[in-house]
Parts: sequence; structure tokens; C-alpha cells
Amino acid sequence: MSLVQPEMRPHYPDYATAPTQHHFSPYADNGGSVVAIAGDDFVVIGADTRLSAGFSIYTRDQNKLFRLSDTTVLGCSGCWCDTLTLTRILTARMQMYQQEHNKVMTTPACAQMLSTMLYYKRFFPYYISNILVGLDNEGKGCVYSYDPIGHCEKATYRAGGSAGALLQPLLDNQIGLKNMQNVGDSKLSLERALAVLKDVFISAAERDIFTGDSILINVITKDGIQDYSFQLRKD
Amino acid sequence: MFLTRSEYDRGVNTFSPEGRLFQVEYAIEAIKLGSTAIGICTSEGVVLAVEKRITSPLMEPTTIEKIVEVDKHIGCAVSGLMADSRTMIDRARVECQNHWFVYNENMSVESCAQAVSNLAIQFGDSDDDGAAMSRPFGVAILFAGIDEKGPQLYHMDPSGTFVQFDAKAIGSGSEGAQQSLQEVYHRSMTLSEATTAALTILKQVMEEKLNSSNVEVMTMTPAQMFHMFTKEQVEEVISKLS
Repeated sequence: MSLVQPEMRPHYPDYATAPTQHHFSPYADNGGSVVAIAGDDFVVIGADTRLSAGFSIYTRDQNKLFRLSDTTVLGCSGCWCDTLTLTRILTARMQMYQQEHNKVMTTPACAQMLSTMLYYKRFFPYYISNILVGLDNEGKGCVYSYDPIGHCEKATYRAGGSAGALLQPLLDNQIGLKNMQNVGDSKLSLERALAVLKDVFISAAERDIFTGDSILINVITKDGIQDYSFQLRKD
Repeated sequence: MFLTRSEYDRGVNTFSPEGRLFQVEYAIEAIKLGSTAIGICTSEGVVLAVEKRITSPLMEPTTIEKIVEVDKHIGCAVSGLMADSRTMIDRARVECQNHWFVYNENMSVESCAQAVSNLAIQFGDSDDDGAAMSRPFGVAILFAGIDEKGPQLYHMDPSGTFVQFDAKAIGSGSEGAQQSLQEVYHRSMTLSEATTAALTILKQVMEEKLNSSNVEVMTMTPAQMFHMFTKEQVEEVISKLS
């Protein structure tokens, strides 16, 4: 008598049929744009408030600017769940630094820390376009932009997110005064920076379906951070 | 209470009924066998001066290193068990480099002392990786550095306690030297005055006659940062001593 009963035989998959493939996509593109412009003693950063996925809008009122300290603000766009996680870890790191070293982290230090944090997830990156702004140790406005794996570039103006490629050449022309003739190198005023910021977002909302509804603006000066909002088209 | 010490002085994890950790106290005593080191902090910078015990004329004095660079902006002088000090200096260097890597800024002197302190109190710890240090480090350290608060001097003992000082002496001659430091120190001291004072006091407390090969002198200034005195520079200071 056989020890293994026929009905006790293990079940093996039928390799005769074609294998089924299962996909897992860990990322979502939730759109959104961030623009930052720095001046001699100020820096402005704006982000639209539309949170979307393809043709559907999750909310028209999502703040994408994160206050890390009294002089540092981070603007995030891209995969919203990654943004939530990254900013929570950043907030924790800011607090740990403050308690460990008895001082508030400066914007340049925060910029470097963000770069290392992103690079530590080199092979499963946070899918975020980050723009960090603040005042440096001399009180001068500064803008740092990042790619998802932590490459960091210091600039004076930058556009990022879904309309980043659309807006950067516009900023190059209007703020960087590129390809212009007979322009003086007058200092950029806060009023002009705010006006350009609003204008470029109006343009972005016309062409980019992932950018719109309204923008939130943070103005950082030595006196603190001021909030402004500005309506964009909602369609 | 009798025989208190012999009962409770073996384990580093056991308090005596009076609430003391004898092994830690013994480690602090061990510093008093070490060579003398003096640090003075002025508004211009910090000076560190240590004695080197040349126990044999056949010994090569330059191989005794009691003042070392931790980072460009932090240096330290050690007294006690030199072998233990290597481990602590290694940690200080790693922490400073890590801070630079993550934050792209110089680590503050206090944070550096804190990092080494974390290592100093790891004695008695053991986990899955096996036992760490079985005893406290027999080392006292003077950290001299420049950070955003200006020139700073910190002292750390084997218990891991660290305190900022204007002027501090450690090692065998520390008691007499600390007394002398209190007499000569004043807030408006220049760095060269401090250097002369440090060597004068070292000369008083050293058993051997002070010369350019049995002392080490280092200054930490905002302009030059870590600067070890050459033999000639040490001789120049010695020649000015009364």
C-alpha cells in the first residue's frame, strides 16, 4: 500500500498556461508647481493649491509649503504621499538638531541635510520636486532646488513641479534678464518678485492642467514669514 | 559601614550604598597620574600646552602626541591612558566629519564634546553585538576650538561630564596649575600672554626641566585655526619665560 494517498498530493500550479503578471506602482503623480525667487534680503516662494491625479482633482486647497523654521520653507510637488513622509521626517530632524546642538538649523545646513536624506533613498527615491528657500547666515535670500535623488543646486530663482519646465525659461527672462538687451542690473525688489511670481502662475494655469485653483505665497524676511494667497483659474 | 570600597568597587554597573560608582571615581583618579595639560581660552583664541614625559633618553619624543587635530577648527589635548584616548579622538573626528557631511557646517565644540561624552559613558553597556567597553576610559580631554560662538575651551573627565572653562589644567600637576591659572587668568588676556602663562605654569608643575622637546604647544585662532608650534616657536616662548 502506498503511503501517500492520491488525494493528499500537493497542488502544483499549472505551468502549461501562460504566467500572469502583477504590477505594483508605488508612485503617484499628484502634480503641482512651486516657484521661488530670492532677493538681497528676502525670498518668496509660491505653490499652487491643486492636488490632482490625472484628470481628477482631489482638492483645490492643499498647502504645499512647509515651514521648517522661522527662516526656512520647503515647497514640495510630485508624489503627495512621499511629500507627507519626507516633511514629517524633516520636521523631526529639525527638532532633533535643535535639541542636540542648542540652536536652530540654518537654511544652508538644512539644504545639505535634505540632500543627504534624499540620497539615502537613492534606490527607492522620494518622488518629489523639492525647492528649499530661506535666509542664509548673512540674511541674504537663497533658493536650493533638488532632483528626487538629492542633487542640490543653489540658485536665486527656480521653478519646479509639473509646470517647472514651462516656467523656468520665463523666469530666466524676467528675473535672470537672459537674452535681453539694454537692461540695467537694477536690484530685484520684493514687489517685482511678487508680481512676477503671480504672473508666471497665471501663465502656468493656462497651459498646465495639474496647476491651478490658487497659490499660497510665503515671503521670508528677517522679520519673519508672511502668508499671501492669490486666486488662479479653477478649470 | 566597613569594607564599603572592597564590596562595591568591582562592577561598573553597581552603585555603592552611598550612591557612588567607584570605578568611575578611580578612573578620575587615574588622570592624576597622567602628564599635565593646560588650556587657556582668550578672546583671540585658545592655547593648549602639555608636558611630555620623556622616560628614557633613548625615546623619540616626537612620537608622543598629546595634542591632536580633530577637525580644522577643533583640537584637543589629552591626559591619562593614551591608548584609550585614541578611541575617543577617533570618535570625535568621525562625528565632526559626519556633521560636516550631513549639514555642510563645522560642528560646534560643545556638540563635539557631547558626542565624545556619549562614547565615554558607554562602559558596562552590552548588547547583541557583545560587550562594549568593560571599564570607563582613563582619559581627561581638553577640547579647544573655534565655532560660531568664538574661541571655546571644554573639559571632559572619564565620567563623560563636560564643562566649558576659561582656563583648565588636567593631569598630575593639575591642582597646583589650576590654582595658578585662577591667579593669572583675566578676560582681556591676549593669546601670547596666555601662551606664556601656560608655559610658565607648566614649568612650575613639571618634574623635569621644561625644554622645547618635552612640551607641546598648540594655538587655535580664527585666522590660523589649528596651529602646532614648531620646535623653534616653542623655544622662542621658553626664552621669554622668567
